[in-house]
Amino acid sequence: MTPVFDPFLPGAILAGGVLAAAASLWLLLPNGAERVSSRRLGTLFGLLALGAFIVTGRRLGGLGEEAVFLMVSLVAVVAAAATIVSRSPVYAAIWFALSLLGVAGVLLVLGAQFLGVATIVVYAGAILVMFLFVLMLAQPAGLAPYDRVSNEPFLSALAGAVLLGVLSLSIGRLSVAPSACCGLPSRAKAGADAVKAADQPAQPQVAVAADPLAENHVARLGGELFGRHLIAVEAAGVLLLVALIGAIAVVARGEAAHASTDADLGRPVR
Amino acid sequence: MTTMQSLPLLQNALTVGAILFSLGLVGILTRRNLIVMFLAAEMMLQGISVSLVAWSRHHGDWGGHVLVIFVLTVAACEAAVALVFVLQAFSRTGRLDAAAWQSLREATVGRTIDRELPAVDTVPPRFPTLTRAGVQPAPDENEPLQREHV
Repeated sequence: MTPVFDPFLPGAILAGGVLAAAASLWLLLPNGAERVSSRRLGTLFGLLALGAFIVTGRRLGGLGEEAVFLMVSLVAVVAAAATIVSRSPVYAAIWFALSLLGVAGVLLVLGAQFLGVATIVVYAGAILVMFLFVLMLAQPAGLAPYDRVSNEPFLSALAGAVLLGVLSLSIGRLSVAPSACCGLPSRAKAGADAVKAADQPAQPQVAVAADPLAENHVARLGGELFGRHLIAVEAAGVLLLVALIGAIAVVARGEAAHASTDADLGRPVR
Repeated sequence: MTTMQSLPLLQNALTVGAILFSLGLVGILTRRNLIVMFLAAEMMLQGISVSLVAWSRHHGDWGGHVLVIFVLTVAACEAAVALVFVLQAFSRTGRLDAAAWQSLREATVGRTIDRELPAVDTVPPRFPTLTRAGVQPAPDENEPLQREHV
């Protein structure tokens, strides 16, 4: 640490990290010929970007918490990047499963126990298996030409870098002071504030003692879901039913329409 | 857990969510395989979920958790319906290629033209050798043993 703290240094490191991430994606995205040199350079840039994000990340207080958060978020981010850049869609799906495990770990660190487990069960257990089924049904042998090229990798990486830069800028500007406009009318927050004010009146606002949602987490989440959001739960159930029926209907009618289109065009009906 | 401070955790988790969202954006913009584009869209949903839960933790409010549960539900519905459409598209064109449907593009957008790709260097895969045990079975020549690529 330098004795005089330069307030522009973290921003500069972060900007460099975002640019390195864009360069890494541009080099790593499938671009026809596979060159070992561009892959190595892209990996190097990716490591630089990860290092920049790790260095500018906020300290969490405890070494154990930092290590756990760093590990799960690294798994999530690295596997997500590998999902995007891998040529083979099957490998992309498997990398996506690994990324889901990392995301579930991040959710667990954030205290969302139910959501962490539900992410693994619903995504990795159901949705991803469905993706793999479709891949196995539809994938031709070998790498298809459209898996070996990308649409405008440079411009896409640049767009991602712009978005990431703007987002991390606004994330870095989040301040401790509660803004007057958007105070959430939350009972849990009010209770936590009351407890905090009663216990430690001298503590600054930043130190939140514990997660107010941690106690009886799943039971209270269920109570919230089926109490305040009951209509939305019913609507989600109807949505699931409609999607189920709609998927079957599209398959059934699609076959018939396919046959009639073939007949219209004079092709032999399959 | 009790010493964890709220704002740094919020900022770190939001950064992870932003990175996941941006990676998903790049993936959906640039990849051509329909399934990989879907995976990228799901990755954007993951980034949103992380951000929502982080805000929920910060405010001590259940809203983010409830929203993420609905995001999961909608993602399941979307995956079911979308995979049906992908299968239909595949059965029409025989490809999982987004550019196979480029006749639906706008009039001002140029046509995607595939250039010639260099051939994939086919290095035969090396498998581990096992100790010989038992009787060697007679192989069937007509049966393909392995696929060259996954």
